[in-house]
Amino acid sequence: MNPENYTFMFLGFTVAWLIVMVFVISIALREKKLRQELDRVKRMIEEGESTRR
Amino acid sequence: MRLKIILTLTVLSGAILAWNLHRIFTQVPDEANQGAIFRIIYFHVPAAITSFTGFYLGMFSGVGYLIRKDLRLDSIAASINEVSLAFATITICTGSIWGRIIWGIWWTWDARLTSYFVCLLIYFGYFMLRRAIDDPTTRARLSAVLSIFACVDIVLVWKSIEWFRTQHPGPVLEIRGGGGMAPGMEAPLWWNFLALLMLSAALILIRTRQEAMKLEIDALRRHAHAF
Amino acid sequence: MKFLRQTLAIAAKDLRSEIRGKEAVNASVSFALVILLLFSFAFDLEPEQVRDISGGLLWLIFAFAGTLILNRSFARELVNDCLDALLASPVSGAQLFFGKCLANYLLIMVVECISLPVFAIFYNVRLPQRLALLFLVMLLGTWGITVIGTMFSAMTVNLRLRELMLPTLIYPMLIPALVGAIELSRVLITGGPLAENLIWFRVLVAFNVIFTILSLALVEIVLVG
Repeated sequence: MNPENYTFMFLGFTVAWLIVMVFVISIALREKKLRQELDRVKRMIEEGESTRR
Repeated sequence: MRLKIILTLTVLSGAILAWNLHRIFTQVPDEANQGAIFRIIYFHVPAAITSFTGFYLGMFSGVGYLIRKDLRLDSIAASINEVSLAFATITICTGSIWGRIIWGIWWTWDARLTSYFVCLLIYFGYFMLRRAIDDPTTRARLSAVLSIFACVDIVLVWKSIEWFRTQHPGPVLEIRGGGGMAPGMEAPLWWNFLALLMLSAALILIRTRQEAMKLEIDALRRHAHAF
Repeated sequence: MKFLRQTLAIAAKDLRSEIRGKEAVNASVSFALVILLLFSFAFDLEPEQVRDISGGLLWLIFAFAGTLILNRSFARELVNDCLDALLASPVSGAQLFFGKCLANYLLIMVVECISLPVFAIFYNVRLPQRLALLFLVMLLGTWGITVIGTMFSAMTVNLRLRELMLPTLIYPMLIPALVGAIELSRVLITGGPLAENLIWFRVLVAFNVIFTILSLALVEIVLVG
């Protein structure tokens, strides 16, 4: 069997998995950023309410 | 509860993919004409079907938003479309690599690859549109209309490029090299499809929750600035 | 009847405004001429080869030049809140859209009718005996470009990157219409058999009908909400 054939097959599978991994990592990073933003805004509201009291 | 669903889906899909991978490499014989590279179809075709299904589900979710004006439906639509876009990218990349072995070139304007590329471009535009709009309701409304246009257009694009290619023949990516696949070879395809569906469902659930978080942040920010 | 009258009123308004200003058509024609010039550098071809790619060249020119007119379509209403006034008026979204479509259609046809003979002269392409059919293809293809372009112009009117987004969004959408128009133009100009290519007429007509109906149905949602 042509060895190049196998190389490209593995390349193909690797590329597919790589894209999935990159996508999952980007989702994870976005999750982290959103949580930080959410905490920040919640803290901002609490500070605002405590100063008003 | 939601987390449990996501975890279950991910683990199940991972298990099926791993088991299938083992099966693909050990039990499925090399295809007569194409050799080992043929196995790439076990990713290429399920990814293609998953992304296509996703785009249409995304459209229905968008239509759901237009009818019910529930922003959660817009979040679902955006998440589905994003995951489908990722799988469409996988389809094109694996198709290109397949083509590199079959024809010796990285790309050709084969009907399926071209149609997929157009699909990719249309949905890049979809996400570009979403990023350009700040107001959530306007964004939801316009994205929904765009996805309706996109899904109707994709059918026309597909058929017209197919007809163009019958008149101007070029290399074609063939799954069934003249005949149909042997029965033992087709099963892993559908198992992989199931696994990818579950994986995309898990990713969609995660993304939808992130979109909901974004809306919550917007609402809280407005609340904070109002005082 | 009332639908038509109000639609024509909108179309007349846009056309009158354009005839007085002549900005969009001038820019569009100039752009078409520039593209024709650039293509002459990009492709150094024998007359035979030029006729083979003439369909593609022509419709690329029409599509690119047409976008300049389509961009202006709703953008011109942003000044002085004219768009809000139009939306608040008794004219429905569909009438506003259709009126603008008609105006854009006429303007793009004008640009095409100017570009076609210039193209024929620059590239030594003898225009076919079946000029009437070529004109029919131009009528059908241009309507497809106009409908999608006007609809997306309405969608992107309030966006910051409007000029950037409109071409990016519409060109992939236009592929069925462009492929059909390109194929038919190529066949007509090279004198090929039309009978085998009738499917492209059907593609163009189907594209136009489907997207006209879809746009008329959805434009109210896009403009108003």
